[in-house]
Amino acid sequence: MKKGLFEKAVVLVLSGVMIFSLSACGVSTSTGTDAATAATGTTATGTTATGTTAAGTTAAVSSGQKKIIKFFHRFPDEPYNSFIEGKLHEYEASHPDIQFDITSAQNQDYKEKIKVVVGGEDTPDIFFSWAGDFTERFIRENLILDLKPYLDKDTEWKNSLLENQMKIYTNSEGMVYGIPFRLDCKLFFYNTELFAQNNIEIPKTFDDLLAACEKLKAAGITPIAFGNQEPWAGLHYMGTLNQICVPDDVREKDYNPTSGEFTDPGYVQAMQYYQKLLPYMTDNPDGVKPDMARGTFAMGQAAIYYGELIEIPYIKADGPSLKFGLFNFPQIANAKGNQEILTGAPEGFVISSKTKYPDECVEFLKWFLGKDVGTEQCQQIGWFNAAKDTTNGLTDQSLIDGYKVVSEAKEMSAWLDNALYSTVSEEYLEDVSELTNNSVTPEEAMKKIQAKAKEAQSLVKSGTTSQ
Amino acid sequence: MKSVGHHNISKVLLNLLCILLCVIIFAPLCWIILNSLKTNQELFKDSLAMPQIVQLGNYIKAWKLGLYRYFGNSVLVSAVSLVFILLFSSLLAYGLTRFRAKGSNIIFIIILGGMALSEQVALVPLYKILKAFKIYNTYFAVILPYIAFRIPFTVFLMRAFFISIPMELEEAAIMDGYNSLQIFTKIIVPISKPIFASCAIVNLNFVWNEFLFANVFLNNKALQTIPIGLMTFKGDLKIDYTTTLAGLVISSLPLIILFFCMSKQFVKGLTAGAVKG
Amino acid sequence: MKTKKMVPYSYMLPGLIMVLLFVYVPVIMNIGYSFFRLSSYSSSAIFVGLDNYRRFFTDKTFPVMLRNNGLYCIISLIVQVGIGTILALIIDSSAIGKKMKSVYRNIYFMPSLISLVAVGLMFTFIYEPNLGFLNALLKMFNLKTRAWLGDSKMAIYCIIAMSQWQFTGYITLLMTVAFQNVPEDYVEAAAIDGAGPVRRAISILVPQAKEQLLVCSIITIIGAFKLYTEVYSTTAGGPGNSTQVFGLFLYQQAFLHDDLGMAAVTGVFIFVITVVLSIIQLKITRSGQQ
Repeated sequence: MKKGLFEKAVVLVLSGVMIFSLSACGVSTSTGTDAATAATGTTATGTTATGTTAAGTTAAVSSGQKKIIKFFHRFPDEPYNSFIEGKLHEYEASHPDIQFDITSAQNQDYKEKIKVVVGGEDTPDIFFSWAGDFTERFIRENLILDLKPYLDKDTEWKNSLLENQMKIYTNSEGMVYGIPFRLDCKLFFYNTELFAQNNIEIPKTFDDLLAACEKLKAAGITPIAFGNQEPWAGLHYMGTLNQICVPDDVREKDYNPTSGEFTDPGYVQAMQYYQKLLPYMTDNPDGVKPDMARGTFAMGQAAIYYGELIEIPYIKADGPSLKFGLFNFPQIANAKGNQEILTGAPEGFVISSKTKYPDECVEFLKWFLGKDVGTEQCQQIGWFNAAKDTTNGLTDQSLIDGYKVVSEAKEMSAWLDNALYSTVSEEYLEDVSELTNNSVTPEEAMKKIQAKAKEAQSLVKSGTTSQ
Repeated sequence: MKSVGHHNISKVLLNLLCILLCVIIFAPLCWIILNSLKTNQELFKDSLAMPQIVQLGNYIKAWKLGLYRYFGNSVLVSAVSLVFILLFSSLLAYGLTRFRAKGSNIIFIIILGGMALSEQVALVPLYKILKAFKIYNTYFAVILPYIAFRIPFTVFLMRAFFISIPMELEEAAIMDGYNSLQIFTKIIVPISKPIFASCAIVNLNFVWNEFLFANVFLNNKALQTIPIGLMTFKGDLKIDYTTTLAGLVISSLPLIILFFCMSKQFVKGLTAGAVKG
Repeated sequence: MKTKKMVPYSYMLPGLIMVLLFVYVPVIMNIGYSFFRLSSYSSSAIFVGLDNYRRFFTDKTFPVMLRNNGLYCIISLIVQVGIGTILALIIDSSAIGKKMKSVYRNIYFMPSLISLVAVGLMFTFIYEPNLGFLNALLKMFNLKTRAWLGDSKMAIYCIIAMSQWQFTGYITLLMTVAFQNVPEDYVEAAAIDGAGPVRRAISILVPQAKEQLLVCSIITIIGAFKLYTEVYSTTAGGPGNSTQVFGLFLYQQAFLHDDLGMAAVTGVFIFVITVVLSIIQLKITRSGQQ
């Protein structure tokens, strides 16, 4: 009957289309290592259903001589994507021998993809990577290029970068493995009007903060906007509190998976301080997404928000009429840790140790992550890179203030979930989540973390690969 | 005979139940559409309220930002995969059920086992296989795995259906001199229109919405499909909620529209080609 | 003749090859991985024998996952398959007018056409404690609002409910196809014999559609243990690990902890448990014996 014939016809047509578009595609999308084959496929790409590729294979002339650099980033949304690609194309224009093969993926998917492609022949030459264990596991496999020699050779470059930020991308053996693309730190944002209306001054101590929250609550305003459905939000509080309550050297030992124990009473104390804040936070934080919580702050429904420097553009977008200021995490009296550390770590790019063009990649990053681009970057997308003096021409006061804090910070720290070994990090995330909805006590939580830390010690020792 | 009154009450109750279920299905969807027409601020203030001005711009934004580029790819990948899934599966089910061949049961169990495999587990090995065959980052990189992963379920459905087709029809055809291929195309396929339609819808659903493989195996923006496009709305620390909702609506519409169109055909097929004897 | 014998196999060949190559080869590679410690980017693998298996079964989240996947399985069988089939019977019956039959069926089926990620996002929104649909409705009627996905005890039920919303209509569709293919004569004969609608349903329609019912049960069971996207796009296993499921655990082992060995063990476990359950089901109904 008709169906059989129809089906056969469809099969034929579609097979034809598939084979045709495949031959056009298969050539132009071949992995970047095949510069020669890319040359033959250039003009045919126009006929695929979706038009020309974004990978820039439209270069017509003698593409066989071009150096193709694979660039993988994790900012596919606007306006960041356009900014990044714009800069890449700008560099291509001024360096005709270089061509970028650009791919990007969103945060979570990025993590999946990067682990699948790194180490194979498809490894990107330049890719985004978080500081801390995330990159250090690649380093253990010798997959990352050491940038220290390049920095030592070009001292002008070295001195143009903020030291406190570069420190985060330096490992314990002195290897510099990445250059920051955007600086970040955690600060308390507050609604200046609500504070003024309720006669509240910027809290200097933790008790001041609690008192301020009490006043706000009495006035019927949600004191602190907080969403922990993505548990990293609570962990940011935890990270700061750990720094304040536990001495630096103990913390350093504990965060290292080969020696982690977490028996210091400061950790329990940190959790108890966190619990003190809970009554003043958004109801049922475990069911609220962090950006939802930020939204309530931006719309004036909550007075305080513990947020990141990079969230300033988002807050402005969500609540254009909001008047807000920033203050540091307040001091806790008699705490045994270090209250001078600013929680936050920059995020940046690393170069694969397997790249064919290490020098070209380094040269590119020098420019892309340097002062000139940095100045444009903060004006166009509100993010700072690690180059010094990029605020010329910047008019946004909150950004300027934020930059001051982060560039003058004595010391930065990695985010807790990135700093810890993955299984310990996961345990911490789960426990803070349960602490938030009162399903567990600080003592019970720390016991579980201690157990995981012990297990991690043996896991790290037994495997020379990955962890 | 049952009393008319009793019959009528149960009729009314059952209809009410069905309508109630419709409300349960529609309510969340309406809420989503309602909120996709608002601004983000309005959403935060009151999610149940009507928008002040209907923000059709959200839809245009969603389309421009992430979807138009990927639409053609989704159509191509889905169409090709679907055709081959149906083709291979029906042939397989035919071989399994109409011949009483030796080992059919074992082969069936093997195919069945294919359904039990988690896609993520196959991710890394598949990646290595695709690279080895040099089809990574091409349309084949997703089409072939889609076909392979959907054959088990489709065979399962078709087999159940084919089993219920009476042997007499075939025996008559054999006596008329048909060979097995002709029996397949002229007898089995026409009668099986309903199950082909069901399988088409069910598989199209999977392929159109599949994300994991598409994300990892398709690097080139020119090849990527709609689910990946949707992800671009989900920012790092922010989600542009209203645009995302608009994007969700747009990406779900083609399948829903297609289904409503095909379902008429499908009903026709049921009433026209039903087994008459 | 030899060629005649080969005929059935040649029909089965293309499909079989696809499945063997792209599904089974990865399965086997995976089983191999389960005896090693390695990550997706490591250059070498360390043989650890059964250590991964030991760690898997003694992991403190193992009972949680077993409970969650098990709950999902049982509830889905009752709601999706059970109620879905009853719905199909109702729609098929004379109580529903001819025109409305396809309308209802199509409407119930619609949610299953939306991608899992989209539904997950939708429901995260609907369950949102402060501005979500559910709590907004409850507030309107002055009822107590709840934490839904933020409540360790309730969260998994919320996710399960979301799935029932999405897929009950799917089963209803599949069963409707099966019921409509039951020969009219059988049903009419039973009616003439004096069997009422319920009786007809139980003794004629359901048994005749046995195969399809089996299909629906098996896919529900398999789906219950492969569960991943629904949890990933809503709670990602939280709060704490109260909504952790095997599929998500697998993913986290592979991509967060870079422990491909553990991921492989989880995959093997999911595979074995679903195949065993399916075979049991097949044996119970002794399907396909002609």
